[in-house]
Amino acid sequence: MDKLAKQLKDDAARIDVHISDEFDRRMAASLEGIMPEVPDAPRLRQRPAAFWWASSLTGVAAALVFIAVINTHSEGEVTPVVSPPTSPVSMATIPTIDWKAESAMLTRPLQRELEDLQADLKKAEEKVKKEIGL
Amino acid sequence: MTNELQLVDAAKAGSRKAFADLVESYRVRLLRFLLTRCASHADAEDALQDTFIAAYRYLHSYDPRWRFSTWLYRIAIRKVQKIRQENVVEIGDLSDEEGDPLLHCMAASETENLWVSARRILNDDVFAATWLRYAEDMSINDISKALDRSDSWTKVNLLRARKALGAEMNRETNGNEAYG
Repeated sequence: MDKLAKQLKDDAARIDVHISDEFDRRMAASLEGIMPEVPDAPRLRQRPAAFWWASSLTGVAAALVFIAVINTHSEGEVTPVVSPPTSPVSMATIPTIDWKAESAMLTRPLQRELEDLQADLKKAEEKVKKEIGL
Repeated sequence: MTNELQLVDAAKAGSRKAFADLVESYRVRLLRFLLTRCASHADAEDALQDTFIAAYRYLHSYDPRWRFSTWLYRIAIRKVQKIRQENVVEIGDLSDEEGDPLLHCMAASETENLWVSARRILNDDVFAATWLRYAEDMSINDISKALDRSDSWTKVNLLRARKALGAEMNRETNGNEAYG
């Protein structure tokens, strides 16, 4: 230990510290009054058994309600629908509809267009056959 | 050290007696340190009490890889910082020797105590590092942990503190010789 370190060590020890009885009592009382905190252990989240019973019963109740609703709807469908008796309707009561429509007549340009399309189709077919070597 | 760890383990297990023994073994050392850092004796005692209460309350968080003293001093330093933030009066503001708890704990003939000079020359953290090194014999690593600083910071500042205090010690020695 060098001179400086020794001097510092000695000087620290020379600082006269006195702890009073009153402070001791205060300290003891403070420590008595507190409890050390318990660390939070990683624990599983356990739910009470009543929780599982409640959820199970809820599920069963929901299933029963669902079945009841389905059955109610099915019975409604089974009930025969009473259709009103049919009776012949006189033609006089049906109004005639004037469509004012005429059948389409092919004109020459459209005929030529069709022929051109057929010619293009034939050319394309021949080209494909040529490419694949037929 | 082993005995200390046994006491810590017993205190962790709930033994108040074991913790009381730890308090007994550290209270004077801690109070001496706190007197150098607080503006009054009452503040130092409050800081000491708060330190032990916090240590007891959070004993479960103590990591045995640290020295117990390192952990305790770290708590104490934080408590002092808190008290000094709450108080308006700083050590530097104390004008009379009656109010300075450190001077109050020294005999009149010991006014040349080097720690008084150290407190005047060094800033708070460097003073604490110097105290932990030379008064408590702590390692560089423990000091760094206690102050929450890097090892290199501690080494550099301890070296600077040594230079400054060495010069101060020589100055006082020469002055005493000159006037003695």
